[in-house]
Amino acid sequence: MAGHCLPQTARDRGTVTAIRAPHLPESAIRARARDGTAAIFPDVEGYGHTLFGGVPAAEPTADELDLAQVVPPVFVPRRLEKLCELGREPLHGDVDLTTSIGGFAAPLPVFLCAFGSTRVAGSGLGLAASEQAGRLGIPMVIGENVVPMHGYGRSGDGPADGLLGRILAYADTAPTGLGGVVVQQSTEDADAEVWNLVYSDPSATALLDSGRLAFELKVGQGAKPGLGGMTVLSRPAAAAVSEQYAVDEAFGPQATMVLRSSSPGTFTGEILRQQVHLMRNNFPRARIWVKLHPGRDVRLAAEVAWNAGADAVTVDGAEGGTGWAPSVFLNNVGLPLAECLRRIGKHDADLLVSGRIWEGSRALKCLAMGASAVGLGRAALVAVNEDAADGLVRLVRCLELELRLLLSALGKYHLLDLDAADLWFPGLPSPDQRGRKHDES
Amino acid sequence: MTASLATQPVIAKLPPGPRAHLLSPVTQAALRIQNGIAVASREYLAAHGYLELQPPVIGPVTDPGVRGAKQIDVDFYGHKYKLMTSVILYKQASLLAFEKIFYLAPNVRLEPLETAATGRHLVEFHQLDVEARGASREQILEELQGLLRHVVEHVVREASTDLAALGRDPEVFAPLLHRDFERMSHREAVARLQSLLHRQSPDAEIDWAGEKLISERTDRPFFIVDYPKGSRGFTDGESRVEPGVLRNFDLIAPAGFGELASGGEREYEYRRLVERMRETGENPAKYAWYLEVAKEGLPASAGFGLGLERLTRYLAGLDAVWQATAYPKLPGIAAP
Repeated sequence: MAGHCLPQTARDRGTVTAIRAPHLPESAIRARARDGTAAIFPDVEGYGHTLFGGVPAAEPTADELDLAQVVPPVFVPRRLEKLCELGREPLHGDVDLTTSIGGFAAPLPVFLCAFGSTRVAGSGLGLAASEQAGRLGIPMVIGENVVPMHGYGRSGDGPADGLLGRILAYADTAPTGLGGVVVQQSTEDADAEVWNLVYSDPSATALLDSGRLAFELKVGQGAKPGLGGMTVLSRPAAAAVSEQYAVDEAFGPQATMVLRSSSPGTFTGEILRQQVHLMRNNFPRARIWVKLHPGRDVRLAAEVAWNAGADAVTVDGAEGGTGWAPSVFLNNVGLPLAECLRRIGKHDADLLVSGRIWEGSRALKCLAMGASAVGLGRAALVAVNEDAADGLVRLVRCLELELRLLLSALGKYHLLDLDAADLWFPGLPSPDQRGRKHDES
Repeated sequence: MTASLATQPVIAKLPPGPRAHLLSPVTQAALRIQNGIAVASREYLAAHGYLELQPPVIGPVTDPGVRGAKQIDVDFYGHKYKLMTSVILYKQASLLAFEKIFYLAPNVRLEPLETAATGRHLVEFHQLDVEARGASREQILEELQGLLRHVVEHVVREASTDLAALGRDPEVFAPLLHRDFERMSHREAVARLQSLLHRQSPDAEIDWAGEKLISERTDRPFFIVDYPKGSRGFTDGESRVEPGVLRNFDLIAPAGFGELASGGEREYEYRRLVERMRETGENPAKYAWYLEVAKEGLPASAGFGLGLERLTRYLAGLDAVWQATAYPKLPGIAAP
């Protein structure tokens, strides 16, 4: 099978490009990608000689999710239930992390975000990430303009990390019945008919037949809320796509590189509703996801999408995004993830979120605030860049173990049991003081 | 439903090779019937004031409203052009020149693979594409009923030997010739299907299995009208008095033969077209030539596209639509 060759290809290519993620704890992510679950503990060499304790943050953070603490109770009635069920004291290994993400079965509430068409995501990293996401059985989103920029990959019309290459790398390794592939499309990509292409392709048949294909309508993204996709291209590459995208000499007339911008696309409630209806009509065998940027009306938009029949809504916090964006947007525009979660609240529908997720506590905080699953974006790229063969698998195993430990500490063994009482936000009244029920009641 | 010829097995899931297919008496009878359909259609439409135009084959854009199918790209001197999936945009524009027009137009759609076994999907097929300036949906339904009756009378009269050879009893067309075609709304069709315990989304087109289910319970073609917005492309006109409801229709053949034609009143005003394009996920920039024409004024119109091979299948009583074409191309199957 082609898939057996892909990891090697990916490994060869992945080591070539070094990527940087200055807004993430990159060295910690790389350590996890390299060393696996050993990296979630202090250095084992120091055990017995060193006195450990909480480390104050190196610099003050404004990120509410970072500031929040996970607060296990003393009394744990759900542990008693589990104790009765098992006939022995429960441990973190007894936590059930299996879940459903946008219509797909998943071993834990984690999915792989889209990387888009940025050069960071090219160079074989996308392919390596796909293969590892497949092995993990977690859903994987393939970026909006992979086809316009990287090609589809059929008849040798593009590099191996085109859309088809990524789908095959995933499908070849995914365990039966787990995970799924989600193909994004935004306004300009409609020209490339990405969804129609995938839907009528023999390579996607196995995924369709097993109910593991979804299409994601990209309404917006976290890094640049209100803007469309942006990438920096060489002049010849930009000329090749100039009929579809706006190309600016943003870096000066002499620069070798130019800015390629997509439109954000125009949406109203009616436009979003009807687009979801049409997706369901045209692709009845695919799941439908909708990705929103962290807009101030994110709750309304999510409800429109769910009511129109979307299987999942993905919200990218303003701190998210693998892509390239004007600094003014990175620092000043969009709701942070915590506020998005607060505005949307708990719903009986799948809410998937992303934005600086790389370890278990941030994931757990999102889940406690109403998310159904969290997406790994930049952290996954860094992990795959660290080790193209197993980096992402190790990073996810770390997150998985941390989730188990945290849930177990909270005395909860099912994801659905998490709620706002499990968190404490400094400066905010605790849920108990706000009149919520005590856990032991 | 299909009669058998003594020497030729008619029931076949897939086409044989080109030689066997062309030498088959079934193919030959079907193609003679198809010729009769074309002759009679031209006769009827000419008598009703329609002018036949030659259809464009490629263009920068084509029909956007095709369920799940992929368009075929053509490199036009470095520009990405499309093979026509239908000539709807050109039909509307052509009404600037003439009041009533029609094409017998070839269409190519890379249909999803799951449609290969429906017996009613071809990748390459032909439509009788009719459009009339200022017409209402009701007028165009009358026109289509009249056309179909004329065609059936012609085929029954001129192709009786072929019908007999195929075991198709001309009496099955008596209800079509003598009773008006029933009209039911999409909402009524959904309710009917749900009462038959068929799961049908009220927001989507009637699925193929559902269409077959209703069609098996009738003795003559019928119209389903008023599809919900979100189930069709942007050219299908939205009701001015009932937002969310389209002034469109499908014509469904009886006895499980399924959809023969689609049509309705068209969206033609610039602003409404732009909004509908967004609602259907389209990028208006792609439709520059069409929107430019619309900005200066496209006539209001109604019309339909009638599948030539599907109509042939129905009149000839064939198992599969590929039996009604000389060089069948089924989804996912490479063939000449």
